[in-house]
Amino acid sequence: MDLSIINISLIGVICLLAVGLYGLLILRNLIKVVIALQIIVKAALLGLITAGAARDQINLTQSLAVTVIVADTVVAVIGMAFAVQVRRRLGTLDIRDLSSLRG
Amino acid sequence: MSTTMILLTICLPWIGGLFIWIIGDRHPRTQHALAACFAVAAGLSSLALLPFTSDSAAITIEMGSVFGRFTFVPDGLGVFLAIIAAVVGSLAVIFSIDYMHGEEQLGRYYSLVLFFIGAMAGLGLSGSFLLMFLFWEITAFCSYALISFHNDDPKAVAGGIKALIMTQLGGIGLLVGALIAHDYLNSYQIHDFLANASALPPNTLTFIAFGFLLAAAAKSAQVPLHTWLPDAMEAPTPVTALIHAATMVNAGVYLLARFYPAFESVPGWSVSVITVGLLSAILAAMMAIVSTDLKRALAYSTVSQLGYMVFAVGTGGVFASQYHLLSHSIFKALLFLSAGTVIHVVGTRDMRLMGGLGKQMPITRLVFIIGSLALAGIPIANGFFSKELVLETGLEYGPVWAYAGMLIGTGLTALYTLRMIAMVFYGETRVTEKVHDAPPAMRISLGILAFGTLTSWLLAGPFGHMLEASLPFHDLHFRETSELVIEILSTPATWIVLLVVALGLGSWFLRKTLRSLEVFWEPLKTFALKGWGFEWINLQVIHLTRNLSSTLRITQTGQLNWNILGIIGGLSILLTFLAWGGMR
Repeated sequence: MDLSIINISLIGVICLLAVGLYGLLILRNLIKVVIALQIIVKAALLGLITAGAARDQINLTQSLAVTVIVADTVVAVIGMAFAVQVRRRLGTLDIRDLSSLRG
Repeated sequence: MSTTMILLTICLPWIGGLFIWIIGDRHPRTQHALAACFAVAAGLSSLALLPFTSDSAAITIEMGSVFGRFTFVPDGLGVFLAIIAAVVGSLAVIFSIDYMHGEEQLGRYYSLVLFFIGAMAGLGLSGSFLLMFLFWEITAFCSYALISFHNDDPKAVAGGIKALIMTQLGGIGLLVGALIAHDYLNSYQIHDFLANASALPPNTLTFIAFGFLLAAAAKSAQVPLHTWLPDAMEAPTPVTALIHAATMVNAGVYLLARFYPAFESVPGWSVSVITVGLLSAILAAMMAIVSTDLKRALAYSTVSQLGYMVFAVGTGGVFASQYHLLSHSIFKALLFLSAGTVIHVVGTRDMRLMGGLGKQMPITRLVFIIGSLALAGIPIANGFFSKELVLETGLEYGPVWAYAGMLIGTGLTALYTLRMIAMVFYGETRVTEKVHDAPPAMRISLGILAFGTLTSWLLAGPFGHMLEASLPFHDLHFRETSELVIEILSTPATWIVLLVVALGLGSWFLRKTLRSLEVFWEPLKTFALKGWGFEWINLQVIHLTRNLSSTLRITQTGQLNWNILGIIGGLSILLTFLAWGGMR
C-alpha cells in the first residue's frame, strides 16, 4: 500500500473514530463523554475532506465542513450546558447515576 | 363517462365526510341531512356504473418509480362490490338518522362512515395491487375507529384494537404477496398477474396464494382469525350492518374470487379454502346457537355464511359465491338493522331479556322474519336460491365430506334463526316499559332491504352475464334466471337441503322431547360458549407478547455506555451487510 495523502488521512479518520467510540463506551464523566463525541465529529470532518480531495470536489466538501463545524459547536455547547444542569440538580457528573430512562 | 362515475362513487362520500366534519357538531340536523344526501348520491352514481362494465382500465394514474401505475378497472366483480358498498351504505346512513338521533360527536361518526363507503368502492374498483392494498387498509382503519366509536367504553376500545390487529395480519399477507408478484412480473397490475400467473415458479405462486388466503381469512373473519368479529359488535348497529355484515367482511371473499383463476392450480390451495370455509360455517353456526346476545348471534351467523362463500370459491363456484354474497349483504344488513331497531327500543342486547316484542313491533317483526327466511334458506327469499347454488356447486365439484358438513351447517342455520325469532318476538313479554315500533327513517331502510331480500334473486341472470362479459380470466357460464331457478328447483339435492332445514326447524319445536340427548350436547355447548378455544389461543399470544417484552426490558439499562454499544453494534452489522452485498 503506497502512503498517499489520502491513505494517511483515512488512517487518521479510523484512529480518531476508534478513540472517540472507545471514549463513549468507557468514560463515565459527562464532560468527557461530550469531548469523546467531539472527537468522533472531528473524525467525520476529516473523512469528509478526504472524500472531497479524492473525488476532486474539495470546494463542495470544504463548504460542507464549515457547516458541520458550526452545527458541531452547537452540539458541544448544548452538551456542556446539560452537564452543568445535571451537576446542579443531581450533584454528580457520573453517567451511571443518570439512568432514569431505564425500561 | 365511466371515469366520471368511478370518481363520483369514490369521491362523493369523501367530500361529504369532509363537509360534515367541517360543519361541526353544533348543527346535528344539517349533518344528518348532508350525510344522507351524499350517501344516496354515491349510491346512485355507483348504480350508474352498471352500463359501463368492461375489463380495461378506465382511469390510469402514473405514479412513477416503485409505485407503478394506479388503475381503476370497472369490471363486473368490482362494480358489483362498489354498488353493494354505496347502496347498502346509503341505507345504513338513512337508518342512522333515527338510530344516532341525539348522539354526540355525529361529525366523527358520519365522516368515518362516508370515508369507509368511498374506500370500499375504491377497493372493488382498483386494478393495481398497491392501490387495492391502500383501500384495504383504509377500510380496516375505518372499521377500527367505528368499533371504538364509544371510546369511553373499555369493551368498545378493546374490540376495536382486536379487530385492527387481526385484520392487519391479513394486510401483511396481501402486501407480501403483492410485492413478491411485482418482483417477478415487474408490474402491480392485477390484469398482468392473472394473465401471467402460470409463468411464476410454482413455489412462489404457492406462497402468494397462501398469503392471499391469510388476508381473506383475516378480513372475512374465517377460522382461525374469526374472533374479532363478535367483539366488533360494540360498534353502533348501522355500522355493524354496513361494515361487519354487508361490505368489509366480503372483501376477503372478493379477493379469493378475483384471484381464483391464478391460484386454482396451486396444489392444496383449493382444499385449504374448502376446509377454512367448512370449519367457519359449522363452528360459527354452533356458537350462534348458544349465544344469548342478539348481535353476537348474528355476528356468528355472518362468519358462518361467509364460510359458505369461501367454500363456494374453493370448489370453483365463483359465480355461486358472488351470488350468495349479494343475497347475504342484503338480508344480513336487513337482519342487523331490524335487530338494531329492537336494541334501540329495548335498550339491551341480551335476548333473554326480550321476548314477546312481536305484538308491539309488528313491522320490525315482519322484516326480521323476511330476513330470517333468507338466512335459513327457505324458498321465495334470495338466500334460498344462492345457498342452493353454493351447495349444488359443492356437490358437483367439491369433496363429499365437505358437502356433508355444509349440509349439517344449513340445518344448524335454520335452528339458530328460529331460536332468535322465538326468543325476541314471541313468548312471554319481559320488557316492562312501553315500546314503540321503528321510526320513519328506519322504516325506509328496512322496507327497501326487505324488498331486496324478496326479489334480488331475480337478478341472477343479468348479474351472471355482467360477470361473464367483463372477467376474461374466469371460467364462467352465463345462465338465464329462469334456467337457473328451474335447475335449482328440479335437482334432488335441493330437496335434501330443504329436508335438513326442516329437521333444523323441527328440532327447535321438539327441544323439550330432545332433552334426553342433552348428555351429548352439554359438553359441546360448554366448549362452544368458550369459543372453541380460539379465545384461549388469543390470550396465550397476548401473554407471550407481554412476557417477552417484560423480559426484554432488561436490555434498557438507561446507561449511556450500553446505548452506544448498541448503536455501534447495529452500525457494524449494517456495514457488514453492505460490504457483503457490494462484494457479490
